[in-house]
Amino acid sequence: MPELSPVDYAVPGFLLLIVIEMLWAARRAPEKYEPKDTLTSLGLGVGSTVAGALTGTLVLTMALWLYEQRVFTIGWQWWAWIACFVLDDFNYYVAHRLGHRSRWFWASHVNHHSSQHYNLSTALRQTWTGFFAANFAFRIWPVFIGFHPAMIATCGAINLIYQFWIHTEAIGRMPRWFEAVMNTPSHHRVHHATNPLYLDRNYAGVFIIWDRLLGTFQQELDGVRIRYGIVRQLGSFNLLWAVFHEWIGIARDVWRAPWRAKLHYMFAPPGWSHDGSRDTSDTIRARWRERQESVPAE
Amino acid sequence: MLFQLIQVPVAILAVLLLALLARQLGLGGDVRLRSEAQARDEAATALGGFDAVEVALDRAGIGALLRDAQGRVLLLRRHGAQFAARLIDSHADTRLDRNFLTIGTADTSFGKVTLDLGDKAQVWAASLRRLGA
Repeated sequence: MPELSPVDYAVPGFLLLIVIEMLWAARRAPEKYEPKDTLTSLGLGVGSTVAGALTGTLVLTMALWLYEQRVFTIGWQWWAWIACFVLDDFNYYVAHRLGHRSRWFWASHVNHHSSQHYNLSTALRQTWTGFFAANFAFRIWPVFIGFHPAMIATCGAINLIYQFWIHTEAIGRMPRWFEAVMNTPSHHRVHHATNPLYLDRNYAGVFIIWDRLLGTFQQELDGVRIRYGIVRQLGSFNLLWAVFHEWIGIARDVWRAPWRAKLHYMFAPPGWSHDGSRDTSDTIRARWRERQESVPAE
Repeated sequence: MLFQLIQVPVAILAVLLLALLARQLGLGGDVRLRSEAQARDEAATALGGFDAVEVALDRAGIGALLRDAQGRVLLLRRHGAQFAARLIDSHADTRLDRNFLTIGTADTSFGKVTLDLGDKAQVWAASLRRLGA
């Protein structure tokens, strides 16, 4: 395995683009950035790098062991790279969808969404607890088919690099053909929105086609002001709270819950409660639709 | 190996420089609630469909208290360049000092906020007492 991943090479470019976007914001829309929020986002990025370095060897060891049990040996042909990239992007979609639909995985992903801003620094709000949540399981299984672990790691890194530039409000829409196939700033703004219509939509990494095929696509609508963040905004810039608040919430709920509900508090959709006192994205959307139908002009 | 050794301190330095740049550029701005209508709008967004029937706006616009027809009270406060909100379910962390009402919520990470509500402060303090401890 190379000492540096493609992400390491991309980091200077990330930082340069953030500076350029900040200069754009200073001229056009200063409220698009908040220094304390930026500090939290970038802190999450650095911490994620450290967490990845600490757990990466373990994941690699597991992947290499699984590769030893492989069914085929696919090799390094050009078409294998394409197949691996597309399969890895689909795996990303599945993992990401589960990351929003199961509280266990949401707990490790929520820090990516907890900013009320949407800018390039938001892209760097990566997880510290992904290994603990076992997110890697969704990405490494193709080694069992015969894709080499290094190929999967490289495809995953390119996928992550691609997703950086879509975290911006500085770009409106891309050409229609591009919007049809690729994930774009417009599609991903929808994903980060808390507007009821937009909740739990557009899980794609690189190719938006997965959402179109699997019924989770939502077009960004003109004239609808997007509110970013999470349903219950953190109201805090505390870095450690941003990382661990949902895990702490799970622990508290499991401790207090009746036995029959404990596993649900871990794995059911975020917002699930045994007494119906909380809201999931589904209930929020349903209530919003009821209001829309009762007040058509709203 | 050398790269990995210097990676974290360099990254932390870069983070601090970027945050400093954001501050120097004046990003974030000075966001305030300009009207009761804006406070209602922010509240409705923060808590899906919260339909305020009564609003007490901080004189400087840093926050507001809102009540809906069901008697629920929502604390709205500035959070950086945005707003965040919490329902208040107890008056245990509420303190009145003439026109200033200091309010906390069950969520300690959300912090306390002191609102200058003018002559509405006493009325709201009394109504919050009805929420119980």
